[in-house]
Amino acid sequence: MSALRTWVAAAVLCAVAPGIAWSTDWELSADMRLVDSDGQRSLFDGGFGALQYDREHDGVQVGRLRAAISQPLGDVWAVKVDASYFGQDEQHPLGVTEAYLEYRPYPIDGWRTRVRIGAYYPPVSLEDTASGWSSPYTLSNSALNSWLGEEVRAIGVEGQLEWLGTRLGHDFDLGMTGAIFGWNEPAGTVVGTGGFSLNDFQTSIPQGYVGGRGAAAFPEQPIFHEIDGHEGFYVGTDARYLDRVTLLALHYDNRANPTAVDLAGNEAWDTHFNSAGVQVDVGGGWTAIVQWLAGTTAVVYSGDAYSYPFHARFALISREWGRNTVSARYDVFGIESNAEYDLSAEEGHAWTVAYIFNQSLRWRFALEWLHVTSDSAARVVVLDEPAYARENQTQLSVRYTIGSGR
Amino acid sequence: MLLGSAVPVVAGTISVQANLANHEPFAGAVVTVRADGAHAPSAPISAILDQINLTFVPDIVVIPVGSTVEFPNSDSVSHQIYSFSPTKRFQLPLYHGKPYPPVHFDQAGVVTLGCNIHDRMVGYIVVTDAAYFGRTDGHGTWSVTNVPRGTYHVSLWHPLLRDPAASLERDVSITGDESATATVQLAQSLRPAPLPATARSRDAY
Repeated sequence: MSALRTWVAAAVLCAVAPGIAWSTDWELSADMRLVDSDGQRSLFDGGFGALQYDREHDGVQVGRLRAAISQPLGDVWAVKVDASYFGQDEQHPLGVTEAYLEYRPYPIDGWRTRVRIGAYYPPVSLEDTASGWSSPYTLSNSALNSWLGEEVRAIGVEGQLEWLGTRLGHDFDLGMTGAIFGWNEPAGTVVGTGGFSLNDFQTSIPQGYVGGRGAAAFPEQPIFHEIDGHEGFYVGTDARYLDRVTLLALHYDNRANPTAVDLAGNEAWDTHFNSAGVQVDVGGGWTAIVQWLAGTTAVVYSGDAYSYPFHARFALISREWGRNTVSARYDVFGIESNAEYDLSAEEGHAWTVAYIFNQSLRWRFALEWLHVTSDSAARVVVLDEPAYARENQTQLSVRYTIGSGR
Repeated sequence: MLLGSAVPVVAGTISVQANLANHEPFAGAVVTVRADGAHAPSAPISAILDQINLTFVPDIVVIPVGSTVEFPNSDSVSHQIYSFSPTKRFQLPLYHGKPYPPVHFDQAGVVTLGCNIHDRMVGYIVVTDAAYFGRTDGHGTWSVTNVPRGTYHVSLWHPLLRDPAASLERDVSITGDESATATVQLAQSLRPAPLPATARSRDAY
């Protein structure tokens, strides 16, 4: 009964105080690209190119159409939904990339908890810190975070505990995160059979896929399925020194049974990885980020066990001044393979340079050049083409955003 | 600001010069001056601490005990202000504009403010029962005139200080119309100042 009275009182307070912002926060944005690319057929079109746009998909492209909503439910609960259409995913006009219920109470004596229930990214990326899990530094994500966008999402429950030391006169904040999730057992399919790519694509939930339609060399791969009934988990920690240095580490394991196959023929991939990163912000708008990720994905197919250790890391340096941001990033990525012909073995590295001009809260202009060099066994085994490829992509992006905070 | 009527009416000046460890002026330091013995604290005031571009403006407010502070939110995004400092625990549920009445501060001490939505936001309210108070200017100086005869304890405070509090206190005496100066030279460098909000932080995920 007292809870009912609290809700009634809250509703009355909300009604009589219009500035109390239990109103909906929302954003709509359209990001159009002008692309020049000499890339091979991309993963999204069923090939083994490492770029988002191949030579068949340059010119004017839809980068991303996005709709996001955050609806407070009382003071410390909120529902957040982020949906996007990416030009590559022609079958899904608008797909949900994240959707969760968040409980974020006020801190007590320096301690704060947060709970998320739904579908969300594990706290791995130091790069994708802008709205819609996008990068404020470049148009294309690093290979590491591109892979997260393609294949990794937790659909479950996450808890976080933070110690806000800086609010107590100390120099550090510390945090711990843990989650139990399901529906991510195909994670590993793309890296295990298609390889790494550098893009800003995010596979939608629950029906999203990566890959080409029909008889593509790299056929479509559904990502978010529960196949064997085993829940996965991740645990992570973070530490911050004032607002200058952030350390992040996480262990992810989808605990899939690699022999499991569902009725539609989708295989469970046993995928686990460790990730760590450091971000340093200094005066003058300078930021440096280094991230590292290494893991293994394994599957049993027709009685044969396949295992693919993989790794990805990058270093990024960026300077923001006024409305301008210039960033440069170096990526290294690789996949080993125990399969015959080393199917899917890959080694590659990439350079990315980007300039972003935030003309206003609504208009953003960006120019990015991306060069990637890679050796991919799949090109030889599946396509009978050379393993080695040098690919270049230049993008000009114009993004317009409206919303409650714009 | 006047002391109690029992204090002899002799007007002096108390000046404070604060220097950083590198001997540059220490601007923005909070100075409080207490009389040795009983004195009347300054009269309560009504202050405003705004929120602009994901920043508390000003970053520090100094108020006498019994004062009130209003917390308008001038940003287009909502904020959720809290303090878990023992001096004053309070919460202002998610809002923008000026929906809430001013908050009353009836106990001396430092109140650290945060926003439960934007963790980078931090602000401070210094609630003081001192007779005189203020912040040092760009030259690291602060002064008060018309100070009656007596002995005074001068204290310096700032959220970025690393020096122990005891090393930041000075005693000065006013015996006539002269000026007494308290000089505080920091031994340790300050913590790095919070980075300013940028287009990137305003577009945070």
